[in-house]
Amino acid sequence: MFSRIFWIARVTFLEALRQRFLAFLLLLAAAFILGSVPLRSIDFGHGELKFLADLGFGALFLFGSILAVVLPAQLLYGEIDNRTALTLLAKPVGRGEFLLGKFFGSWAVLGVFTFALTGLIGIILLVREPDVVARAMALQVVPPEVSVVGLFEHALLQWLRLGIIVSLALLVGSLAQTFLYTVVVGSMAVLASQLVWIAQDTLANPEAVLSTLMRGALWLTTRIFPNLQGYNIGETLVLGQSTVLPGTVSSLCLSAAVYLVLILFLACTAFRRREI
Amino acid sequence: MTDKPAISVQDLTKDFRVGLRGVKLRAVDHLTLSIPRGQVYGLLGPNGCGKSTTLKIVLGLVPATSGSFTLLGHDSASPEARARIGFLPEAPYFHRFLTGRELVRYCARLSGVASDRVDAATDEALELASMTEAGNRRVGTYSKGMLQRIGLAQAVVHDPELIVLDEPTAGVDPVGSAAIGKMIQAMRQRGKTIVLCSHLLGQVEQVCDRIAVMDRGRLVLEGHIDEVLAQRGVHQISVEGLTPAARQAAEEALSSHGAHVLKVDHPRQTLEDLFRRLVTGSRD
Ligand SMILES: Nc1ncnc2c1ncn2[C@@H]1O[C@H](COP(=O)(O)OP(=O)(O)OP(=O)(O)O)[C@@H](O)[C@H]1O
Ligand SMILES: [Mg+2]
Repeated sequence: MFSRIFWIARVTFLEALRQRFLAFLLLLAAAFILGSVPLRSIDFGHGELKFLADLGFGALFLFGSILAVVLPAQLLYGEIDNRTALTLLAKPVGRGEFLLGKFFGSWAVLGVFTFALTGLIGIILLVREPDVVARAMALQVVPPEVSVVGLFEHALLQWLRLGIIVSLALLVGSLAQTFLYTVVVGSMAVLASQLVWIAQDTLANPEAVLSTLMRGALWLTTRIFPNLQGYNIGETLVLGQSTVLPGTVSSLCLSAAVYLVLILFLACTAFRRREI
Repeated sequence: MTDKPAISVQDLTKDFRVGLRGVKLRAVDHLTLSIPRGQVYGLLGPNGCGKSTTLKIVLGLVPATSGSFTLLGHDSASPEARARIGFLPEAPYFHRFLTGRELVRYCARLSGVASDRVDAATDEALELASMTEAGNRRVGTYSKGMLQRIGLAQAVVHDPELIVLDEPTAGVDPVGSAAIGKMIQAMRQRGKTIVLCSHLLGQVEQVCDRIAVMDRGRLVLEGHIDEVLAQRGVHQISVEGLTPAARQAAEEALSSHGAHVLKVDHPRQTLEDLFRRLVTGSRD
């Protein structure tokens, strides 16, 4: 079973790499990040690192999210439309194995994407660091410091976040009939998950005046959608300007794992009932 | 165990819901069929009569509306049964970005070929489909004939007992079709069961032991090819150098025995035979 998932994932990964889409988004994001470097000539002073980190993580977040919705949808529908899925599923390959193979293949691609961009961001930050530190010293303010461990932790969290998005896209794809529908609904689900913290904050705010119905709706939203915004703590991790509570990263990883298992389980169940 | 039919279908019905209002379209209508082992079985019928749908249901790819079926005596969802069949879907399309050899290896792995056997099995399957040379090219660059042949290679790479071929000759030239016919016979000689859907009736007649004809989802004829086709009341005699006088004498002699000549004409060779004598073969 695991070997079949592995082989499907491997071929999915190869397919994604041999398509131009990944290369295109990777180049676009890289161009975006590199393009932001000259902007520092507008004097940001010691805020320069924050500016660069913001832009870099922003690009990773945005292009990564797009890739995480479109890629699995495309890989799944490509295979169903071409009827290659028929050939594979006539073999002793379970539907769940097929879907999990698609998941791990797409997730691996996003891993390449995330770590490649993080590497680029890291290089830019580290190259600029001495300069910025010197200027901060001259102005006698506390110099910022780039944390390599923080960069790695941030990449890991982003990768997990993108994994949740991939699994959401596959869940929608297993229920929907067309590629476009999957991309649209998948994007809305991602947007909702990205904004779910607003609902959480509103619920937690004792001063908010809410009807029972509204409260119920908000509560349901917070239960259904994972809070993806919670994974965007890159600046804190990397530049360490405010402190990250100990255990935050590991508890985020744990909750991501729970979401992944849950969403993938639902996706496999839905895919089993689907007509190919 | 071996006397169980390769495929058995009982009272199978399949309705598709089409359009927004969910109008029912009956693709397979109370079909009962039993395909014995060790034979080449032809499944014939006009476009849209439900051949492909029947095969997909039996292979567990599409759920049936009602009825029951078994595959090699097993439930078709069971991995044991599916590990022992090879399937070439109609109008096959494979991962365009893989080379032919990568594709066949991938299929070998998914079909449970032991990892130390994968290379040998891949080579054998490519050889059988005469795709050894083209195996290093991307599938996306293949011609239709090559796609069908690589499809055959992936279907037989794990040495299955039952091979289901849905229109393996669609889009293939007569020489290629004849080669596919030969492959089918070779596999039959190795004791495999082959189910063949095809519109090339001439080829079906040559390679199949039994045929079933479907129309609008129903079975209209089933039987051994010789029994189905023989016109027992009529005989054919081929003669060389028939002069008008000889013909008259022969007709008189026959009628004196109560037999009469229905028609006398020249046998025609088939266009297929002519074509095959004229051309050398496809470039693939
Ligand atoms: N997924 C589907 N949804 C709706 N209708 C379908 C679907 N698949 C097949 N049909 C319909 O079922 C009928 C039988 O189709 P099927 O593909 O089994 O025919 P076939 O005998 O294989 O024809 P051909 O010789 O053209 O391959 C057709 O009318 C077809 O339109
Ligand atoms: Mg068909």
